[in-house]
Amino acid sequence: MNNTNDPIIRLIEVSKRYGKFEALKEIDLDVRKGERIVVCGPSGSGKSTLIRCINRMEEHTSGQIIINGHELTDKTKDIDAVRSEIGMVFQSFNLFPHMTILKNLTIAQRLVRKTPKAEARDTAMHYLGRVKIPEQANKYPIQLSGGQQQRVAIARALCMKPQIMLFDEPTSALDPEMISEVLDVMVDLASDGMTMLCVTHEMGFARSVADRVIFMDHGQLIEQAEPETFFNHPQHERTALFLRQILRH
Amino acid sequence: MDAMTGWWDDYFWASITVAEVFVCSLFFMVIFGLLGASAKLSSNAVARSLANTYTVFFRGTPEILVVLLMYFGSAVTLTAIAQLFDSSIRFVDIPPFWAGTIAIALVVGSYATETFRGAFSGVNPGSIEAARALGMSNTQTLFYVRIPEMWRLALPPFGNHMLSLIKDTALISIIGLNEMLFVAKQATSTTGKPFTMYIVVGVIYLGFSTIITLATMLLERFANRHVRRAP
Ligand SMILES: Nc1ncnc2c1ncn2[C@@H]1O[C@H](COP(=O)(O)OP(=O)(O)O)[C@@H](O)[C@H]1O
Ligand SMILES: [Mg+2]
Repeated sequence: MNNTNDPIIRLIEVSKRYGKFEALKEIDLDVRKGERIVVCGPSGSGKSTLIRCINRMEEHTSGQIIINGHELTDKTKDIDAVRSEIGMVFQSFNLFPHMTILKNLTIAQRLVRKTPKAEARDTAMHYLGRVKIPEQANKYPIQLSGGQQQRVAIARALCMKPQIMLFDEPTSALDPEMISEVLDVMVDLASDGMTMLCVTHEMGFARSVADRVIFMDHGQLIEQAEPETFFNHPQHERTALFLRQILRH
Repeated sequence: MDAMTGWWDDYFWASITVAEVFVCSLFFMVIFGLLGASAKLSSNAVARSLANTYTVFFRGTPEILVVLLMYFGSAVTLTAIAQLFDSSIRFVDIPPFWAGTIAIALVVGSYATETFRGAFSGVNPGSIEAARALGMSNTQTLFYVRIPEMWRLALPPFGNHMLSLIKDTALISIIGLNEMLFVAKQATSTTGKPFTMYIVVGVIYLGFSTIITLATMLLERFANRHVRRAP
């Protein structure tokens, strides 16, 4: 139905208001299949709001969001089906605390995809292997380190075989020594051709993995460019200022 | 204790009745509590005010009165309806067992409403978001994420609600249910030994509450199994 060259995510003049406050202002954005995009910007600039609108965890107030040829509207009948095609990884992991790691990975497959038990389990073990912690399958989330929990959260999203992965500051809540184990998993995923939209301030990751880096400020998409151009020749003063601030350390 | 001769089997069957009332009212209490809590947390103003009326009324009325109102209220209503069809009918009631069970379930359910409401609010919103982001429906999220997580927080007060229920079963004798107080009263009038007859009731109730307390402890340990760190 849709041409392979069509963007898998298309945002046309998307705005989002919380009451009177405009969190997103007329954002236009196309993401092609397999593209890896890093979103950065100061705190409160609307990065989370942007990616949360893409899987409709938030409803945009105007404009159009088209995922894989399907526009997200009030009438989108099966928002749950759309969501199951979009994996999301949160800053605070958000594993289900009362379920074992294995159950965390199989529950949505069983309930949403109606996958048979044995198959769901195999898929779960496959992705646990991919994030390199198959031996933790029968533990509870609290028994794992932050880095391990975040890798489980990534595996949990992958178990749904999503077409798009959204990351909202996946390493911001982690102790420094655990950041790289999570980034390694994300790099691995990127090399596998997954369409990824990552909010992160890990500029090393952005440089080596991103096809495009996006800078947001005050709800606006200020600038987008390839990492090389973005970091070395930012077009806007606000971008340059932001880069100076985060790269100083 | 000689006075007890001949009464043991009455006490036995009466305590079976108490256990039955307890189990049935527990079931309804949980339902009323979950419905009440959902209504209080809902965005629907009508649902919220209905739930508030429910908790204000049942928490503010003596329980024995609720039992009486439930029994006689339903009897009056049913009788009136029955007389519409057959004017020779004098009196129709619902069995005291069910009137009493529902009455105490409504009372304790109003307390459980507050317990469940608080516990639902204590569930990490991140878990709910994660479930929704995985494509789970609202109902699936409720049954697989919100209720199981809420449960752990609700258990300690819920144990108290179960103790209230078991004690409230004693109220149902007033509408003629053949439970332990009812038996004790009959036994007293035949033997003239009220203290003996009532202390036996006390001991049996104590047995029930001990079982409930132990069961709550076990449930709490089970519900908190994932909160303990690695051994
Ligand atoms: N639910 C909400 N209600 C009101 N304001 C919100 C809500 N969520 C976010 N905001 C506001 O929207 C702005 C953008 O938030 P967010 O997208 O979380 O920023 P970022 O992720 O870039 O730090 C912030 O000013 C924030 O206070
Ligand atoms: Mg954010």
